[in-house]
Amino acid sequence: MQFYRKNSRAVNKALSILSGLVLWHFLATVIVADTAFLVSPLAVLAKGYEMLFVTGELYPHIFASSGIFLYGYLLSIVVGVPLGFLMAFSPAVRDYAHPWMTTLYTTPRIAFAPVLLLWLGIGAGSKVAIVFLGCVFPILINSYYGMRVVNREFVELARSLRLGRLAVFWKILLPASVPFILAGLRLALGRGLTGVAIAEWFGATAGLGYLVYFAGQTLNVPVLFVGVTVFGLMGILGFEILRKIEVLATPWRSSHSG
Amino acid sequence: MRKDVARGIVSVVAVLVVWEILARVFLENDLLMPAPSGVARSFWKLTVSGELNRHFAATLLEFAYGFSTACVIGIPLGYLMGMHKWLEEWMDPWIATLYSIPIITFVPLIIIWFGIGMLSKVVVVFKITIVELILNTAAGVKTIDPLWLEVSQSLRLTRWQTTYKIRLPAALPFIVTGMRLGVGRALLGVIAAELLASNAGLGYLLRDASETWDSPKLFVTVLLLALMGIVSFTLIKKGEQKLAPWRQTAEW
Repeated sequence: MQFYRKNSRAVNKALSILSGLVLWHFLATVIVADTAFLVSPLAVLAKGYEMLFVTGELYPHIFASSGIFLYGYLLSIVVGVPLGFLMAFSPAVRDYAHPWMTTLYTTPRIAFAPVLLLWLGIGAGSKVAIVFLGCVFPILINSYYGMRVVNREFVELARSLRLGRLAVFWKILLPASVPFILAGLRLALGRGLTGVAIAEWFGATAGLGYLVYFAGQTLNVPVLFVGVTVFGLMGILGFEILRKIEVLATPWRSSHSG
Repeated sequence: MRKDVARGIVSVVAVLVVWEILARVFLENDLLMPAPSGVARSFWKLTVSGELNRHFAATLLEFAYGFSTACVIGIPLGYLMGMHKWLEEWMDPWIATLYSIPIITFVPLIIIWFGIGMLSKVVVVFKITIVELILNTAAGVKTIDPLWLEVSQSLRLTRWQTTYKIRLPAALPFIVTGMRLGVGRALLGVIAAELLASNAGLGYLLRDASETWDSPKLFVTVLLLALMGIVSFTLIKKGEQKLAPWRQTAEW
């Protein structure tokens, strides 16, 4: 009892996960009892083990998806951050870009997938473009906000120290907007993974999105669950990496939560 | 007229004109890049024939069913989660799991479970919206100013009165934020589900247009989806500003 009182939070969470998995197992094996519909978590685990260590068929899918994701994500950073800065410095650029950004940002991205496919073909180009379209706006918008809300006092201090324009940018504006850019990168991570999944629905022959899509079409539920799980793990891994980067990039911030 | 609005209009008109010229004079390829005038013509044709109306109504209905059910179940659930720590601890691992996996990957599974009809799309919308609502409602209930609760205690408000007069109004802006996030993601989800397997809806139209190489129709669908996104986003943003004018709402 003492142990429970001390660690009630961790115990409750562990109990929740455990009972959920047990419930899932019984639901799958006793009540549903149809492997074309739902399989036990044990079966998913077994399938995952098989695909990873026996046949190794999971690796090409992971590599294909990671490649597309990384290209799209990095491209978004390279384009989004400078464009966001430009919009922060020039109201004219911001005003002209505004209607198009709103349109592109609020439209369900999947709508652009067939158009991009039409323009760029079924190769890697269209897939990277779909990921890019998902990632670029959170990064762009956060870079813009980051640059806009930099504390005026810092800038005034820099001016009174007679720092040049370039020095103000490098020493004050850029570091101050880093937390915002990182927040944008976090948002973009989830959207990018969704983008990968969407992109690989269209004319792909490899990748986790393709795996999930194909498993769905052939009613292969264990593989479907393995694909979904790997997507989840990739997301968690990405968030952890970003958190590490955040600690390294903004050492002056004392607390790092979430 | 405000300067930024004028610039926005100039920008939109300029791009449309350049696009029209580009498509008519240089590209002359309706498949790759139909001119805006061609898209408008196709839009008119699809509207008159009632085809657009049918698909638009299907998507809207699926969206409305899923969204309203998620509100009815998700807001009380999020409220309870914010009030009771043990419930939060029990639900958190599963909510977090659902939240961290890209929604799109669930769509094939949901179609296996609920069929290719309307129900599976309603479930997709429901699933996406309820996660956002639960998380945001719980956050709203938890971050309430303790001073307000003290005031309600000294006024001897009953539990129900505290709930209706203090806690729920305090959580309302958070709930609307959850709705805004839910709308955007649910729209994506419903289109994806329709695209994968259905016989009606804008997602179906998207697939139909791209498989029959009917580019003007494809662009009409994209345009309509853009419109849907902008309108829903603007409406909820307005609601957010009205409910919580002290909070800075996102420009995008």
